[in-house]
Amino acid sequence: MDLAYTEADEEFRKELRTWLDANLPQEMRRPEFWADKSDAEQFKIRRDWEADKAKAGFAGIQWPTEYGGRGGTPGMKAIYDREMALASAPTTVNPLGLAFLAPTVMHLGTEEQKKTIIPELLHNKTIWCQGFSEPGAGSDLAALQMKAEKQGEEYVVNGQKIWTTNAMHGDKIFTLARTGPSEGSRHAGISMLLIDMKQPGVEARPLKQMSGASEFGEVFFTDATCPVTEVLGGEGNGWQTAMLLLSFERGSSAIGQYTEFRKMWDEVARAAQKTDRDGSPAAQDPVLRQKLAEQLVDLECLKYHSWHILTSTSKGKDLGFEASMTKLMWSETFRNLSDVYSDVVGPAFQVAGQPGVSRQELTTMALWSRSCTIWGGSSQVQRTIVAERVLGLPR
Amino acid sequence: MDFALTDEQRALDDAVRSYLRDRFGPSQVRAVYEDPAGDGDPAELWKAVGEQGWLAVLVPEEYDGMGLGLLDASVIARAFGAGTVPGPWLGTVLAAEAVRLAGSPDQHKSWLPRLASGELRGAVALHRPGSSPVPANAPATAGAGKLSGQLQLVEYAGGADILVVAAADGIYLVDPKATGVSLTRCESLDRTTRTWTVDLDGVTGEKLEASTPDVLQDLIDRAAVLVASDLVGIARKALTETVEYDKTRVQFGKPVGSFQAIKHDLADLHVMVTMAEHATTYAAYAVDADLPDKALAVSIAKSKAADTARKATSDMIQYHGGIGYTWEHDAHFYFKRAKRLEYAYGDAAQHRERIASVLLDGAVDQGHLQTDGSEMSVG
Repeated sequence: MDLAYTEADEEFRKELRTWLDANLPQEMRRPEFWADKSDAEQFKIRRDWEADKAKAGFAGIQWPTEYGGRGGTPGMKAIYDREMALASAPTTVNPLGLAFLAPTVMHLGTEEQKKTIIPELLHNKTIWCQGFSEPGAGSDLAALQMKAEKQGEEYVVNGQKIWTTNAMHGDKIFTLARTGPSEGSRHAGISMLLIDMKQPGVEARPLKQMSGASEFGEVFFTDATCPVTEVLGGEGNGWQTAMLLLSFERGSSAIGQYTEFRKMWDEVARAAQKTDRDGSPAAQDPVLRQKLAEQLVDLECLKYHSWHILTSTSKGKDLGFEASMTKLMWSETFRNLSDVYSDVVGPAFQVAGQPGVSRQELTTMALWSRSCTIWGGSSQVQRTIVAERVLGLPR
Repeated sequence: MDFALTDEQRALDDAVRSYLRDRFGPSQVRAVYEDPAGDGDPAELWKAVGEQGWLAVLVPEEYDGMGLGLLDASVIARAFGAGTVPGPWLGTVLAAEAVRLAGSPDQHKSWLPRLASGELRGAVALHRPGSSPVPANAPATAGAGKLSGQLQLVEYAGGADILVVAAADGIYLVDPKATGVSLTRCESLDRTTRTWTVDLDGVTGEKLEASTPDVLQDLIDRAAVLVASDLVGIARKALTETVEYDKTRVQFGKPVGSFQAIKHDLADLHVMVTMAEHATTYAAYAVDADLPDKALAVSIAKSKAADTARKATSDMIQYHGGIGYTWEHDAHFYFKRAKRLEYAYGDAAQHRERIASVLLDGAVDQGHLQTDGSEMSVG
């Protein structure tokens, strides 16, 4: 047992902090900075800031240097996640490209794909969307219907994708389509295509979320084209490619999530100290104290778990299906914490952003937390995976 | 960053578990269960516990101990929980801890070697059962060096050579055979222990010379970590047994473990058990390393372990169906032991209240984001 990072890792922390001190203005760290800006304005600021960060060498922390990464250790990645969250730095505009596409390309992309896709992704020259879900294929991904028909040197693509993050900002989309017959298995005949979204046959429409924002949307393909060379993992191997892609644990460390939610807990605790309940602070209410403490327990367990993950990945262990447990744990904890926030402010939850009563950013998180137990595999899907793949219960 | 047991700790875990598998398995536990009038302290087991050094882990080497830490003791406690092991191991380890932490060099010399070898058995009464686990709830009163009061639910007091008793002004050693001490056996639902009511009526005790409220709190926290470790051992074992049973028990033409209602509940339980394991590991480490957040870590571990063992042992009965409710099945050993330990050294709600008092009754920033040992300098 040793909770210290290596000297080299700590050196990296210093370097990153110095850069953040110089390049992340205090005002950008406050929620009010973002409050009065449109989705498009926010996106542009984040995109540019992140590109500058990449230029300074703080992107692709664990990726090989030959593809523009930093070639760092798992410890550095964990430190990066934690420091970015501590500093309230803007979150990435390329989450799906960074978390899923890039590692998949590094595993099974052609040399040409590695050289073109990865550096452009790191520097936000290309914003990537993920096109997996369809109206009839959510948790049951293999029910997907989108068709890609080979005509000469290109595929002609027809179909619809939904819940596409950054649909309105995307330059390209990695997406699953049926390029061949199913031959008795729903998993056969699928390919992962890399399609240019800036073409007449592709139309993105925003979907307004329950939070009021439109971070995701729908993407319609009507005779859209895609060169036959733009397949990742080989034609007909789309299902295997998608499974590999989905196996990449988000960011490989849960420490960033812990840090973000622990900051939220602190804010909820402050709100409890300020909220009056029968003449004394809500923080003195015995029931709320129990609830707040219960969430704190689960949050700190998430922190310990992130150390466990880091220990395993540092030893070169594959997390495998343990990633499902991590996802289940953090998303459910986040949702429970947001319920405790509404318990603290009570009826004032309805008036998000009323000074001294409730907090816009906490309300936003409380709404956002409702999506986290759905996207990336719902809690129910994760429980099935944990039961079958970790505990070994029969299918 | 290495948040894991060392090779030596894993070897210790293996040693305890293989001893239990070969020499003190479910049938030996059952023999203790079926003999409620007996002392609940099988001689062969106690001999092994002493010989293997499992009582000596926390005792310094100069007193014939191993000089290891609470994390090492936690490894043993976890394995003992998984094996629902009876006997005065915990009481003896805690008695030695009281002497080590609060005793003078002379007291160390006279007690530690014999407690480390198993020659002497210890029993402890550190706070009134059911009360918050703080020094203010010491079970005995002291006046002019004489101790009085009723100590309830003292485990293995009947066979103990020495009682450790907390009073308002310090921690005392009491000879169970001294004048003014009377012991009354009370039957415990969990028969992997034996409990006694100890009445003290103006008993002369030997005060541990360096005892302070802080030392008593430390002692109670150490007890809470070992109990949490036992609970985590119970919980993991209950889950594993249930999964194995539900893989093979067939109803409606299928193994019952293939039904989603059971799968999802057990998946949630697996997450809980894993988190409780992490929490007890960290709490033991935080106490060993004397980290600033150790009080928080202890309360996190005890509350999580208590909630987890409750669910695990209830689920074990439920997902075994009717057989799980029978006396002949071992499920009730786990359930009853977990019920006893859930309330020992503070229950989940009391520990959550302590967490709240640490984090809500002052500046929230206190301990804010600094609670991981690696990053104490983070402001």
